[in-house]
Amino acid sequence: MGDTVLELVDVTKRFGAVAAVAGASGAVHGGELVTFLGPSGCGKTTLLRLVGGFLEADGGSILLEGKPLHGVPPHRRDTAMVFQNYALFPHLSVADNVAYGLKARRLPRGEITARVEELLKTVQLEGFGERRPHQLSGGQQQRVALARALSIQPKVLLLDEPLSNLDAALRVAMRAEIRRLQTALHLTVILVTHDQEEAISMSDRIAIMRHGRFEQVGSPLDVYESPATEFVATFIGRVNLIPGRLSPGPEPSHATFDTWFGTLTLRAPASPLGGSSNSSEVRAVIRPERVLLALPREPLPRNTFRGEVAESTYTGQVVRYTVLLQGKPLRVDAWDPVRVGRFPEGSAVAVQFPEALHLLPAEG
Amino acid sequence: MSDQTLTVATTTPWASARSRLAGLGAEARAAARDPAFLAVGILLTGLVLVFTVLPIGTVLIRSLQPKEGMFTWENFLEFFSRRAYYRALINSLILSTASMVLVTTTGFVMAYLCTRGPRVLRGPLTFISLLPFVAPPFAFSVALIILGGRRGFVTQLLGLNVSIYGWPGVLLVQVVSFLPIAFLLIENVLVSLDPSLEDAADDLGARPERILRTVTIPLAWPGTLKAALLVFILAIADFGNPMIIGGGMSLLATDAYSLAVGEQNLRMASVLSVFLVIPSLFLFVIHRYLLRETRVTTITGNLASSQSRRSSPIILIPMLAVAAVVGLVILALFGVIFVGAFTEAIGVRNRFTLAHFVSQFGLQYLWTSIKMALSAGLLAAVGGIVLAYILERKRIPGRGAVEFLALLGLSVPGTVLGLGYLLAFHNPPLALTGTLLIMVLNTGFRELPAAMEAGMSKLRQLDVALEEASADLGVGPVGTFLKVVIPNIGSAFMAGLIYAFMTGMITVSAIAFLVSPGANLASIYILQLAEMGYLGEGCAVSVMLILIVFICVVGLKWIARRTGFDIIRGR
Repeated sequence: MGDTVLELVDVTKRFGAVAAVAGASGAVHGGELVTFLGPSGCGKTTLLRLVGGFLEADGGSILLEGKPLHGVPPHRRDTAMVFQNYALFPHLSVADNVAYGLKARRLPRGEITARVEELLKTVQLEGFGERRPHQLSGGQQQRVALARALSIQPKVLLLDEPLSNLDAALRVAMRAEIRRLQTALHLTVILVTHDQEEAISMSDRIAIMRHGRFEQVGSPLDVYESPATEFVATFIGRVNLIPGRLSPGPEPSHATFDTWFGTLTLRAPASPLGGSSNSSEVRAVIRPERVLLALPREPLPRNTFRGEVAESTYTGQVVRYTVLLQGKPLRVDAWDPVRVGRFPEGSAVAVQFPEALHLLPAEG
Repeated sequence: MSDQTLTVATTTPWASARSRLAGLGAEARAAARDPAFLAVGILLTGLVLVFTVLPIGTVLIRSLQPKEGMFTWENFLEFFSRRAYYRALINSLILSTASMVLVTTTGFVMAYLCTRGPRVLRGPLTFISLLPFVAPPFAFSVALIILGGRRGFVTQLLGLNVSIYGWPGVLLVQVVSFLPIAFLLIENVLVSLDPSLEDAADDLGARPERILRTVTIPLAWPGTLKAALLVFILAIADFGNPMIIGGGMSLLATDAYSLAVGEQNLRMASVLSVFLVIPSLFLFVIHRYLLRETRVTTITGNLASSQSRRSSPIILIPMLAVAAVVGLVILALFGVIFVGAFTEAIGVRNRFTLAHFVSQFGLQYLWTSIKMALSAGLLAAVGGIVLAYILERKRIPGRGAVEFLALLGLSVPGTVLGLGYLLAFHNPPLALTGTLLIMVLNTGFRELPAAMEAGMSKLRQLDVALEEASADLGVGPVGTFLKVVIPNIGSAFMAGLIYAFMTGMITVSAIAFLVSPGANLASIYILQLAEMGYLGEGCAVSVMLILIVFICVVGLKWIARRTGFDIIRGR
């Protein structure tokens, strides 16, 4: 990972009484793809527009390669944006769209032509230069928008929900395409999206936003497996939050976790909860696919409990179960239903939990 | 922030024309099932033929008749052989072109400032740009004479020896009069431009001047061109301003009037009218049918984008200078109308008086105007809305042609329709000249297209399923129209009525041919007062008209706010 390219220090932006961005701080390193992920209204697009210079922050500062951007209009910032609706100039050809920023920089004509050709090649649109934007498909328009943004060799490329206007299949293909370009050209990219799958599959790091702040910044694996807060845990993926009491176990390397359906033996969890000799109230973050279902047989293995299937939904690659443990529901996903077999509703099952669980402090 | 993006695409007129042709047979069968509306449709079409098409046709025929019963080009040869005639054509074309360029430029500047200029100035500049809308256009001519005429206030104050009569005066007054319509159209275009396009240009390193030149103007061009064509049509048809402040300059509209009313030379008046009709109709067809580009507008409901529209001093300073001059002129002219109305004689006897308001004729003619405009408004609104319903909903063959013919009332200069009425309705079977009825019919059928367009645009927003549901529940076509359609497009009816009334109050061009001493109108009276130099009383009558128009505009705004239907902005 390279040096810090972009730094956000306590950035704030208000619209009237509403603080759209309320003290966001963080850094983007050279050559990495960082995603701002969050629900509608979390301030992710506002923050991106602040970086692009389309909005001016009310407080805090944005530094590009160490230099503050305050008061610098978009046309003098080394950032380039791919707009959600692409914002291709309808009165210009594809080539002229891509050349727009180069012409504004008064590059020699020959150099512009060569650069445009090269860029169109990069996004696999050779031979499309003379077309008008409305003659292209959505995916092609997206590529033109990318080429146009890349033309000015931005220090940071800003992508505002770039895939939201594409159909599902194309979206998946474009994810890989953008990722390929980003790694090949060693681009520093900020991506804004509300699509968690997109964020997880494309990003080096994800910044989960809520109420105008970063709730957690980390690798996709981090935010999925070790969410810092309940919001992150529930926003990304499906989750069971199991409340219980954590106590030191009989062996120092283990702890016990008392839940409504019984006691789990855990490998000693890391701080902030570990190390304490007292017991504490916690919640375990358990993803549905981490729980195993089996036919019950005596004796039950370690961390395994009896349950009853209340609901089962077949979705193709996975069967989503709701299993009642002592009358309370637990979500369980079982993969590969053909090989594993399905448990009918009403049947008794054995539910096995892993020994390593990610823990959050109890509510309140 | 909102993440939905709404894409609105309109189909090309050609595609819809093709599908209409294909459906003609089916349409005829469908119409036959609906005899009541077929009958009303035929009746209304007949009325449009008699009261819009016939007068225009009469003028065209008359222009080809040197004598009764003869058909030759002789009149046209005479037109081109005498400088006094063809000079009017040349002058009119030059004046309208100049006016078009000036008004469109000014309108663009004002609209640009109101959408991208300093935030604090947007409100005041919008107000000033729209202000001339409430005044009868020629009222500014009266005010300009008071300011800059031979014995004018400013002229004497500065000891100037230049004449405001003729070209400079007419151009100046036309800029002021037509600014609101150009402003509204261009502002509409600039507001609906996707802000992310200018953002993208900015982002790619283009400075504000470059964005204006390479993105904003090219994208606003089609809409601006439409505004320009409309201004040309208005300018070439303008009658009141050249009458008052033209200083005898030769123009088609005024010369046609003088020839017809002054010299009783209806033959040459008709020839001049033909030259008025040709460019107007030509541009109207371009404006309406050819420039209806397939426009894909992307509306992104993004809260954050509102802040990014900005500009730079290099653009804003010259624009603000233009706006300041135009704004001062508008305010000065407006001020003079009001001050003049309450002053014995501005610049001569600056004493307060109410005498101008209580002149016997002024109030009498105002009352005639109100009666006339109200009847014409009702005619226009009822006829326009019913016609709109039939054209929009009933699959009657030849709808496009009927719509075009009805629109002639709007597109053909008033002078031509005035002369046409004079020619067509002087003798039996329809000897109407000299009556109030002829003025009502003339104004009514000139305003009918506006109400019709209002109705059609409102109907396009009304889901046909409502009418289908009504029919499904057992209500007949007439019942459905009265119980379901009318309540839902009532705003278009009211807006059409008020708009037609308001326009009828200040119309002069066509009516000038039709007034008689027994049936005179306030707007024409201002013209006559100005001619005789009774400027104070002219201002007073203008003020009364301004107040009436102002009340109408407030009413229309109220309708727009309550129902979202704005007839002035046409949406």
